[in-house]
Amino acid sequence: MSTPKRKNFRIEPFKHKVDMDPKYAEKTWKILEHAIHEIYNHNASGLSFEELYRNAYNMVLHKYGDKLYSGLVTTMTWHLKEICKTIEAAQGGLFLEELNRKWGDHNKALQMIRDILMYMDRTFVTNNQKTPVHELGLNLWRDHIIHSPKIQTRLLNTLLELVHRERTGEVINRGLMRNIIKMLMDLGSAVYQEDFERHFLEISANFYSIESQQFIECCDCGEYLKKVERRLNEEMERVSHYLDARSEAKITNVVEKEMIANHMQRLVYMENSGLVNMLVDDKYDDLSRMYNLFRRVPNGLSTIRDVMTSYLRDTGKQLVTDPEKLKDPVEFVQRLLDERDKHDKIIVQAFGNDKTFQAALNSSFEYFINLNARSPEFISLFVDDKLRKGLKGVSEEDVEIILDKVMMLFRYLQEKDVFEKYYKQHLAKRLLSGKSVSDDAERSLIVKLKTECGYQFTSKLEGMFTDMKTSQDTMQGFYASLSSDTSDGPTLAVQVLTTGSWPTWPSASCNLPAEILGVCEKFRTYYLSTHTGRRLSWQANMGTADLKATFGKGQKHELNVSTYQMCVLMLFNSADRLSYKDIEQATEIPSSDLKRCLQSLALVKGRNILRKEPMSKDVAEDDVFFFNDKFTSKFYKVKIGTVAAQKESEPEKQETRQKVEEDRKPQIEAAIVRIMKSRRVLEHNNIVAEVTKQLQSRFLPNPVVIKKRIESLIEREFLERDKTDRKLYRYLA
Amino acid sequence: MRKEDTVKLISAEGFEFVIDKKAASVSNTLRNMLSSSGSFTETQLGEVKFPEISTPVLEKVCQYFYWSLQFASGKETEFYIEPEITLELMMAANYLHT
Repeated sequence: MSTPKRKNFRIEPFKHKVDMDPKYAEKTWKILEHAIHEIYNHNASGLSFEELYRNAYNMVLHKYGDKLYSGLVTTMTWHLKEICKTIEAAQGGLFLEELNRKWGDHNKALQMIRDILMYMDRTFVTNNQKTPVHELGLNLWRDHIIHSPKIQTRLLNTLLELVHRERTGEVINRGLMRNIIKMLMDLGSAVYQEDFERHFLEISANFYSIESQQFIECCDCGEYLKKVERRLNEEMERVSHYLDARSEAKITNVVEKEMIANHMQRLVYMENSGLVNMLVDDKYDDLSRMYNLFRRVPNGLSTIRDVMTSYLRDTGKQLVTDPEKLKDPVEFVQRLLDERDKHDKIIVQAFGNDKTFQAALNSSFEYFINLNARSPEFISLFVDDKLRKGLKGVSEEDVEIILDKVMMLFRYLQEKDVFEKYYKQHLAKRLLSGKSVSDDAERSLIVKLKTECGYQFTSKLEGMFTDMKTSQDTMQGFYASLSSDTSDGPTLAVQVLTTGSWPTWPSASCNLPAEILGVCEKFRTYYLSTHTGRRLSWQANMGTADLKATFGKGQKHELNVSTYQMCVLMLFNSADRLSYKDIEQATEIPSSDLKRCLQSLALVKGRNILRKEPMSKDVAEDDVFFFNDKFTSKFYKVKIGTVAAQKESEPEKQETRQKVEEDRKPQIEAAIVRIMKSRRVLEHNNIVAEVTKQLQSRFLPNPVVIKKRIESLIEREFLERDKTDRKLYRYLA
Repeated sequence: MRKEDTVKLISAEGFEFVIDKKAASVSNTLRNMLSSSGSFTETQLGEVKFPEISTPVLEKVCQYFYWSLQFASGKETEFYIEPEITLELMMAANYLHT
């Protein structure tokens, strides 16, 4: 009795006479032994707990604990041997049931015995480091029942047989199964693992190895994966129903290894149904299944990713190098966008928006877009097309979406400066011809480019917008300053462009008609009076004009033509017949431009304001042109061949290329100087690496070019080579 | 008080003490006895005979059960033990695993 407070009390050794019946131990044990028998025979109702407890208590107290313990072992062993016999005798399917029932009995008996012998458990067992009664009972059960030679293998085979039957679709008694497995687990995890789990895993591996072989021979990839998924779920369900939860990882591992890992390559490359086919056919379900299953095995996802990447690269390469598809830049870019959308959707829907897959997609696109040197031009053309007409009737959000997608492609470009070059040209044409559909969309794209590449990239583009705005104001001021007497003369709209912000054109001048020249002069005087110290030069090749013309039968049309065409047509005000030479002399338009403009005036059906003799497909130097009196058109306004941004011809492309290369030189030099200024001394390879790094947001500099720039800088004494180590460069301040 | 909530403890001399099962459960031995799964006579009849515990000691034991419950619930009072029964009481305590 653990009385919490006890005062003035001393415990002294207790001496008392032990007048014991020498037969006492034997007699008491007999009583207890009898009781144990009775308990095993389900006959405990007549027994007194107190009496048995007291007897056991006294035996331990009187130092007969040993006898009691060994007696218990013997008695229990005897009973277990009896039980063993009846279990062994059980026939076929009854075997497990019998085992289960006996196990229940044994457990119950064991509990009662433990209760009676509690005092022994408390003192004797702990003092002598014996196994406690309950554990002892379990150990004896394990040794005499589970490990009895006749039961051990039979039990294992029965269990495995049941699992197999369940796998082949039969219904088995899961409750019984659970009890037996629980018994094995109660006997210690070692028993469960050694006597069941190990064999179970082995036989499962075998089973699935054979089954997967069968499946793979007769199923396509999608079907196979479905089966694997089902098997996996079955195994997990099995574990949750009657196995140790810790077995789940092990058994799923077996299935994964046998059914997925061993056949991964074959599945991915399966003819007509492998990964590539799934990608082509947008099989989201199958792809998602493949992703989730392959994720379970090592290298699974990287296998998928690699195959996807190489597929993307191949198709992308075909796409960007197929000369057929290069004919229409808009179509070309649209195809790229579609391809990206398609795979993006697959990644989102089937691959759980996996970041590594996104990265693979991006790197593939980056790879093949840059395979084609014209990609930057085409993307700019695509934007041009969209901003000219493609965005009509499209909501603002949709515009944003399209622009964002374009930006995505833009990001893949290595030669961003080439894009900038083209974009500038196309933007200039859009702005000057007033063809841009939406100013908001234009500006939004500029903002996007700015966030992507920084201020430097877009400053000139923004300058172009500013020029447009200032020009409007200037024109208003100009007309306000004019008196009303010129009202019936031609109206002039001038856009003043800052040199440098705009792409440069060969400034081909021409002889403007006298009427126009007058207004131009007035404007020049006005402009220079407000902005002193500036120089104006006319870019006639970029302008447009609206002419009012009266034809033979008195019908009037308004003709929308280019400035050059206007010059030509104005000549016919004073003459009906002009030879090519006459026109060339009078206008001084460069011959290639003149030919093109005459072509569109005389040879396009429905727009032929001029007649040509002889009638041929091309304009020759000795042709003669007449004003076409018989010109008719359904429309009041007639638009004559405008200059639309088109794919560049081969020589133009070369020219742009050269310009780009020229523009890169100062940038590379600037980068070299920046780097050397901070590093003072650097080795050649390191400079190349650093320059590449600095410039990669704009383009990928060629190492050979970098070397040339370094040499040029050495000549100009920005750098010098180290005297001893020729690979080292020094910065000369 | 319902009969199934109580238990009758009988001393060597035949004195009967009827106490709450809850109080009796202060003793591990008694708790086991009353909750053991087998149908021992004690569980059937709801009484336990102690042929080796005398009436005064068993009485003290019962008092202790109730005192212990109170003590456990935070009422810290002294539990007085007459010196003359101390030894016997200790033996009973050992037996009852209290």
